[in-house]
Amino acid sequence: MFRRRQFTRQLQAVGWVLPAVLSVAALLLALPILQAQDKPVIAIQGGTVLTMAGDAIEGGTVVLWQGKIAAVGKQVSIPDGAQIIDATGKYVMPGIVDAMTYYGIRPFALNDRAKPVTPENKVILAYYPFGKRMHGEKGIVKDQEILSGGVTTVYIAPGDQQVIGGQGAVVKTYGADYQAFTLREPAAIDMCIGDPPKQEPRYIGAKPPLTRMGIATLLRKALVGAQQYGQKLKDYDQKTDEEKEKASPPPRNLGMEAMIKLLNKDIPARIESDFVDDIRTAIRICDEFDIDLVIDSGLGAYKVKDILAEKKIPVVLGPPIHPFVQGGEVSMSPDLYREMDDYSAAKLLKAGVPVALASFGFSFGGFGYATSGRWLLLEAAYLTGFNVSDEEALKMITINAAQILGVDDRVGSLEKGKDADVIILDGYPLHIKTWVDQVFIDGENVYTRRGGAK
Amino acid sequence: MSVIKRVVFVSLVIVYLAGVSTSSGNQETTFVLKGARVHTVAGPPIDNATIVIENGKIAAVGQNVTIPAGVKIIDVTGKEIIPGLIDDHSHMGAYVPNDLNEMPQPIGPENRAIDALHMGTPDWNEAVKGGVTTIVTGPGSGERMGGQSVTIKTFGKDLEKRILKEAGELKMAINGINLSHIPTIHSNFLKAKEYLKKWEKYESGDKKEPPPPRDLAMEALAKALKGEEVVRVHIMWANDIMSFLKLKDEFGFELQFIHAPEAWKVADEIAKRNVPVICMPIELAINVPESLLRGIVTLHKAGVKLAMHSDHPVSPEKWFRINASMAIRYGLPKEAALKAVTINPAEMAKVADRVGSIEKGKDADLVVLDGPWYEATTPVDMVLVDGLLAYDRHQDEHMAEEEL
Repeated sequence: MFRRRQFTRQLQAVGWVLPAVLSVAALLLALPILQAQDKPVIAIQGGTVLTMAGDAIEGGTVVLWQGKIAAVGKQVSIPDGAQIIDATGKYVMPGIVDAMTYYGIRPFALNDRAKPVTPENKVILAYYPFGKRMHGEKGIVKDQEILSGGVTTVYIAPGDQQVIGGQGAVVKTYGADYQAFTLREPAAIDMCIGDPPKQEPRYIGAKPPLTRMGIATLLRKALVGAQQYGQKLKDYDQKTDEEKEKASPPPRNLGMEAMIKLLNKDIPARIESDFVDDIRTAIRICDEFDIDLVIDSGLGAYKVKDILAEKKIPVVLGPPIHPFVQGGEVSMSPDLYREMDDYSAAKLLKAGVPVALASFGFSFGGFGYATSGRWLLLEAAYLTGFNVSDEEALKMITINAAQILGVDDRVGSLEKGKDADVIILDGYPLHIKTWVDQVFIDGENVYTRRGGAK
Repeated sequence: MSVIKRVVFVSLVIVYLAGVSTSSGNQETTFVLKGARVHTVAGPPIDNATIVIENGKIAAVGQNVTIPAGVKIIDVTGKEIIPGLIDDHSHMGAYVPNDLNEMPQPIGPENRAIDALHMGTPDWNEAVKGGVTTIVTGPGSGERMGGQSVTIKTFGKDLEKRILKEAGELKMAINGINLSHIPTIHSNFLKAKEYLKKWEKYESGDKKEPPPPRDLAMEALAKALKGEEVVRVHIMWANDIMSFLKLKDEFGFELQFIHAPEAWKVADEIAKRNVPVICMPIELAINVPESLLRGIVTLHKAGVKLAMHSDHPVSPEKWFRINASMAIRYGLPKEAALKAVTINPAEMAKVADRVGSIEKGKDADLVVLDGPWYEATTPVDMVLVDGLLAYDRHQDEHMAEEEL
């Protein structure tokens, strides 16, 4: 809208004396802008704006234009023809970012259990954004379940039944097409240290890993393999053209190509581990190979909070009300009770560890142990009872999560230039009676609560 | 135990530590233990000795030691002090029993016990109560080559500082019930020899060729061939011992035997090759015959270096000291028995520069006992690890009374 005004001014400056050629050119120039007007300009007015990038703005305005946030603030000029949404008495905040889910993947498609190490597997290939299988409508579905919780961005991951499960991705919960909803792919390589990847011990025919030692060994072997593959590629690249003609390039290996991204620190390793000893193992191995690390679930992570803070290793905690841990419920592996601490998040935050809160949830009909990301706001609210401030609690499910996922340039806060992923709530976000009224993704209204927004 | 009692205990310990320390901070303490009979292991016992401890290390030990001015003096007259006990073969801290063995995969020298180490188990505390301050804990004996052990102290605030050696001692196992055991190990050592040759050729060349592919398993075995790591083998029968000695003759690696109940049958062969034996005289769970208990003396007389082990959880780490006592009962000299639970295991684990005896400059890992160290009736009074109070019997008894 603003660009269009400027453009008009330019036209006035040039005057009407110029020949028609220029106006034709101008029309051509204006074409993309006209197309972008498919998405209306929206101004959300009057609500309390929690930007996650500064103080709350009482009676603020958020302008969504061309799928981006055009302006946030108290004194914002609203463009002509903007669709005005009155949010008086309501709260406006960025869409929730759920840093760990199995959303959109059939539970039994989460792992390739025949092999313990499959870095070549891509979770985006198993991701199904079309709603109910064999039913429904054309195109990508606006899943009302997850949107009703205000979740606009999720990290999708392979399951934890393998040592190296594969490559995870960051997607939006709605987008016009694959390109639109994919924020980052691959975003990380998902791994697990603990009991889930261990095979049933059998005297004949059992394959590694059968122990924690075996898990660590497989991880080391994969990383050593990647180092060697990377060296081979480098050696080949350094050859002269003549030499290259004689020698054949190293054969392509999808898994190793992905692992090289780890070694180059393009993406982190996300290692799910709950016992503090397993977290130490994860840190030890990542130090050995100099790769970035994110701890997932991390029930006992607070016990090594100073090491995590010093090495700037983020932790993505599971939901406190219904803890997701390795293998399902805590009561299924009672040893984990000794790692549990309600103050875990507060202790980590105080030590300076980047922390996100995630649902580890399933959706689209999955029968998960874990809760759906739909209730992530309530999970965050619960933590405020345990020394986490309201602001920290909300950041753990927005900007902190976006930073850990490496997509904070696009989502996670209400700032000019970021994606227009905005939610409107009918009350204070952390209260039990608060509902998400409206959800906007890329400036498009994708969810409106029945009987909610007027 | 009620929460209040716990709090009382913790605060008592803190008060005690505060009493011990003269300056702020626990590690910066200087204090003196005075009046005990000290078995330094490095020499004859010293009666009425004084030990000065500074920054967690032993600063001085002897009868005529000048005590620094103004430091706290702990009177231990009438007690005995021995170095913190060292158990060279244990499985303590292994997560769950099935985390010990990558079974039935036979060869896994690259596996590391540290990756399965469980620091939350109460076993660590129990070991301290028995005076055990350093252990070598490693993989089980389900595989022919189980992996690498970790050498670690049983007490300490900072886990990183507790670890003396992160990975070492290649654990192997021969059960003698299968013809394939020795050939499996033999052929893998042959492979490792080839691997080592390739790397040595690469290292000594101009390095223009790409390096040989890295193999973690062969890398571990190559270390043993180069003499950087020790091979430790779980072994039972005399014929297996002979087979392994032949392997040592062929490859020249440094070898140590674990368990070896029949080692005495070939004591001279073992002594000739300077192979130490880590034995366990109280294999209550395994019900060993008298011959083994007498065999330890046979080995000693043949000049074999001996160490005891608990094989925790086979016999509890807490009663490790009784292994030495049992050896004494069957005729091992007392000094040799004490060495077998202190300096010998330290030397065999290659950590003797830090632990194993009471000498100037070594870690202040000390056990104060209320009577002769080898008597079963003698209780452990106090245990110090790195100069920190790890256990105090009087606090413990106080708690026990409260609980009653």
